[in-house]
Amino acid sequence: MMERVIPVGPFHPLLEEAEFFTLKVDGEYVVDIDIEIGWLHRGHEFISEQKTFTQSIYLVERICGICSTSHPIAFVHAVEDVADIEVPVRAKIIRTLIGELERIHSHLLWIGLAGHFIGYDTVWMWAWKYREPVLQMFEIISGNRNHYGMMRIGGVGKDVEPDSISDLEKILSSIEKKMYMFAKVVKDDPVLKSRLKGVGVLKKEDAIAYCAVGPTARASGVAIDVRKDEPRDAYDMVNFNIIVLENGDVYDKFVARVLEVIESAKICKQCLKLLRKEKGPVLNNVKEIPPGEGIGRYEAPRGEVLHYVRTDGSNRAVRHKVRAPSYANIPTCKASCIGIPVADALITTASIDPCYCCTERSVKIVDEKNRELHLDLLKLSWEKTERIRRGL
Amino acid sequence: MGKDIYEEFKAKFGDIIHVRREKSNRLYFFVPEKNLRSVVKYIFNEIGCRLSTATALERPDGFEVIYHFSHDKTGKYFCPTVFISNKDQPSMNSITPIVKGAEWIEREIMEMFGIRFKGHPRPEKLLMLNNPGNLDRPLRIGGK
Repeated sequence: MMERVIPVGPFHPLLEEAEFFTLKVDGEYVVDIDIEIGWLHRGHEFISEQKTFTQSIYLVERICGICSTSHPIAFVHAVEDVADIEVPVRAKIIRTLIGELERIHSHLLWIGLAGHFIGYDTVWMWAWKYREPVLQMFEIISGNRNHYGMMRIGGVGKDVEPDSISDLEKILSSIEKKMYMFAKVVKDDPVLKSRLKGVGVLKKEDAIAYCAVGPTARASGVAIDVRKDEPRDAYDMVNFNIIVLENGDVYDKFVARVLEVIESAKICKQCLKLLRKEKGPVLNNVKEIPPGEGIGRYEAPRGEVLHYVRTDGSNRAVRHKVRAPSYANIPTCKASCIGIPVADALITTASIDPCYCCTERSVKIVDEKNRELHLDLLKLSWEKTERIRRGL
Repeated sequence: MGKDIYEEFKAKFGDIIHVRREKSNRLYFFVPEKNLRSVVKYIFNEIGCRLSTATALERPDGFEVIYHFSHDKTGKYFCPTVFISNKDQPSMNSITPIVKGAEWIEREIMEMFGIRFKGHPRPEKLLMLNNPGNLDRPLRIGGK
């Protein structure tokens, strides 16, 4: 048996962000995989501990560009958990509306990318075409296409204009119609089926052992969803199903995301209907946060986001811990990639919708005089790549 | 059904643990380091919780390592906390042999806070494995 090593990354056309997979192969089959992260540190936890709670909301919003509202929602949940703060009903509905619209655009982004990865660019163009109106909806609601800046402790920062609701409904129903068509096409498509069915299976017991979350776990038959398990905001006012599939292969992860988009569209519709009825304030006045600790979580498009906050009665957190879903999902590649051909390994690693800029958020390197070390990240990255190449 | 899992848990481990904060769906408690593995085995294997993550934090008199276990059926959290008083050479038992999903977070804590996890299958750095700088426990007070 002769083992060879195939390095994938740190910069690779198939990977949206910088990460490094070392595939050990025997002939065409992967016998071992090692994952190395560490190219995208920005030090959010460290910075957040020096900012006030309100400033931290804007900071955590910038952890991820794609699911940019999941982190603020989880963070405000954590602070509200410390102080048992009540949120007005209208604010709850707006939070849920934004969270679900984000799931739609994030899943459509991955569906498009997955299509592109397997060389099926029609899927990519369709998915991204339907993603665009969702961003327009965000612009109508918050004024921004991304980084909406809506979350506040005790509510949301801006009300949804009553005049815009009918426009939003019109856009939403057009997306929903297209999604039903898309779901039907994906289910019947022979190309997608033959390329993705049975590829990169993550067994249910492995998903549980690795503590996988989100669609990665749900496609393997683990029925967990923060929206159902701990319904906060408006999730107990709306009807929706969680999508749980059995096979755990890439095809099931694909189908799970397509079906989740439809469920999200249903939730958004109900939220808009509720917004017509529910009037009232959108922000509670929160004066101070007592000493204590709290956990806040939210079902981001990729799975559970968890924020843990320890407070001491001041206006900032003593400790703020962030756990993004990809951090729990990426190690599952060790279970799903071993024993499959190299050609399948890449779409399998991509199938968890890895988001590295969330995963690596915890290091800021300063010396004792508070000067940042290694300012030239690009140079650092080149050097590192070169060192790894020499080592292989 | 009907039985509260917190009550069941406290009936079983009440004399070992020290509860510091309890709400309807959050239970934060200290557990002596030597009992951590038996508590985690019960929470993970018998109740069927999922490890969300772990948090380490530095106090003037030592370190706290807090594991966050989520009971997804009820939305409740178990947070067993280990207090380490030895600030010079902090170490504790790893739970990775029981919960595979703890591998990365324990490596990260090891790297950021210099806490050694005994029995960890792969005690290497996670984020700065190939970093050329001589970086030492950056999230600790006075770390670099």
